[in-house]
Amino acid sequence: MRPTTSRYPLIWRVLDGLEAAAARLWPRRFTRATPVLMLAPSLLLVLLLVIGLVELGDSSLRELDTSTFRLSATWTGANYLKIATSGLYWTVIWKSLFGALVVTALSLILAFPYAYMMVRTRSGLLRKLLLVALFLPFFIGQVVRAYGWLIILGNQGVVNDLLGLVGVAPVRLLYNYPAVLFGLVQYMLPFAVLMLAPALTAIPAELEAAAASLGANWVKTLTRVVLPLARPGLIGAGLVVLTLTLTDFAMPAILGGGSQDFIANAIYDQFFRTSDQGLGSALALVLVAIGSLLVGAVFTLFGAGTLAMGRQR
Amino acid sequence: MTKSLPFAPLSRRHFLVGTAALGGLAAAGISTRVFAEEPAKPAEIIVRAWGGSWMDALKAGVSDPFTAATGIAVRHDLTEDNEIQPKLWAAIDQGRVPPIHVNWDTTTNATKSALKGYAVDLSDLSNLAGTLDTSKPVGLDGYPIVNTYGYVYVLAYRPSAFPDGAPTSLQVLLDPKFKGRIGLYNDGIGFHFPAQVAGGGKLEDIPANMQPAWDFITKVKAQAPLLGEDPDFTTWFQNGEIDLAVTISTNAREAKKNGIDIAWTVPEEGATYDTDGLWVPKGLPENELYWAKAYVNFALSKDAQQVWCDGLGLPGVVAGLTPPADLVGDPSYPTKPEDLAKLIRIAPQVQVEHESEWFGKFKEIMQG
Repeated sequence: MRPTTSRYPLIWRVLDGLEAAAARLWPRRFTRATPVLMLAPSLLLVLLLVIGLVELGDSSLRELDTSTFRLSATWTGANYLKIATSGLYWTVIWKSLFGALVVTALSLILAFPYAYMMVRTRSGLLRKLLLVALFLPFFIGQVVRAYGWLIILGNQGVVNDLLGLVGVAPVRLLYNYPAVLFGLVQYMLPFAVLMLAPALTAIPAELEAAAASLGANWVKTLTRVVLPLARPGLIGAGLVVLTLTLTDFAMPAILGGGSQDFIANAIYDQFFRTSDQGLGSALALVLVAIGSLLVGAVFTLFGAGTLAMGRQR
Repeated sequence: MTKSLPFAPLSRRHFLVGTAALGGLAAAGISTRVFAEEPAKPAEIIVRAWGGSWMDALKAGVSDPFTAATGIAVRHDLTEDNEIQPKLWAAIDQGRVPPIHVNWDTTTNATKSALKGYAVDLSDLSNLAGTLDTSKPVGLDGYPIVNTYGYVYVLAYRPSAFPDGAPTSLQVLLDPKFKGRIGLYNDGIGFHFPAQVAGGGKLEDIPANMQPAWDFITKVKAQAPLLGEDPDFTTWFQNGEIDLAVTISTNAREAKKNGIDIAWTVPEEGATYDTDGLWVPKGLPENELYWAKAYVNFALSKDAQQVWCDGLGLPGVVAGLTPPADLVGDPSYPTKPEDLAKLIRIAPQVQVEHESEWFGKFKEIMQG
């Protein structure tokens, strides 16, 4: 004789109930639409982004009338012309772009050995220490970290105090371009390591052992085996660091001493300092365009399978 | 959501009666009770303010006494003046109730809102009768802003770096000894006009020809100045990063109060004199508008001005105020016409119209 359903474990009955409720809410005939339903939140977010971009596009084509502080009723390309003909914006764009490339390169160079050590070490303690050191900065915001550097690198900071002990006069370590890049590399390093670690984990250690058994030294193993296989992680990490750096605001503002602005700082100035929403919008779209072009260039250079998407199983 | 009005709109006469009565009673130190004509009191009014010693002074001089007189709590919103502005504009554009009742703002910033037509006319405030001409915004109809005090962008310096006495001219900024040890505002505010004189130009040429200012600023750029906002100057002086700065006298005075070795002067080229003020955004419910205006009116009473401006170390707009003991005869505290003659005053409308261009040019030089 079959047992009654009341004798089933509670968890089974709960799951049965949930399944029945789900079947009522989303009947089986809707199954083909399930992927669309799951995509809906993402699509909604993308839609909101698109609406925002359209609004920015509209504002960017309207010039500010400083006698009334209202944007023009008709469209004009004056804001884009101003950006194209202004030395200030070319300087700011160049600083952002060059900074993003340098920070990306340095972050990847520094992140790779860190991630490799974290993945390959046989010491559980070392792995934990590396993980703690990696995650600790995430608990501290970017602004706090930047102020931390002010304390460490200031004229009366720790570094200058140490230099003073050996008779070196205080050196201006802050408020210049290298200081901004230094702060950005320190900020971006954990992102790069986190993106690289899964890619390195996916490379079987046996492949390196096989390469060594075939006579490859560690340099050859690294360049012929590990790096090519880690490419998806390197590209992914590079893209994340590149786009985050390109759009960064806090580090240039705090460590740059006001003279090392990136595009985000220029956008802030237009929206909040001079109240020129039109020019601010145009700068924002220029930033979006530069970021998109860079990402597009990476995909063009390294192919559609860059991030290991669509890989054959 | 727009709040509904629980009462009929106030007439101008009713407002004047209420405000005058409130001002009079408060000035006399008498706690007010509910007036017959008085609209419903909100639980609080929100006043945007600058933080630190700026807010402390407003609280002591205006907000606390206003609360004592009316029973209405005053909350200070410390959103930056530049950042509250787009929020206010968006709220008014969208027909929402503005997020603050009173904006304590620079006159230049406030003029932008007035030009947009987003500021309530305050011409009917009873205490305006006791104010000096400096309370009136230049070039605007009525009182969409009430200027509440003036301030000077002084040349602040570290006395230990000047053993032979205070610097007398802005040319000191070009002394190689001070390379990397100069602080300026990051948009150059307060510096453009004296730089015009220091560069050999004339103030009358502003805004048509400011090349002398840009030439001088280009020379200063070679001195690798630090660029920042108000709090940065105090930090830089405190940390020994700078010896010279063009900054508002209040910041220098506050730093001195905190034990930092600092003094200030008005150089022979002159120093920019500007004003801050209070304004009330449009779109408030009628009763809240009434009490927001009452707050501004209260801020113009002599007692409130005395305490508020003492705290700031700045000259108010009401006749007969007593300067703080440490600022008697100080060039940053002009009290007589001849004091003001040494200072540079450019109409807010000219500043508003050209601000973007001047900030852009300054940044172009400094970012290069």
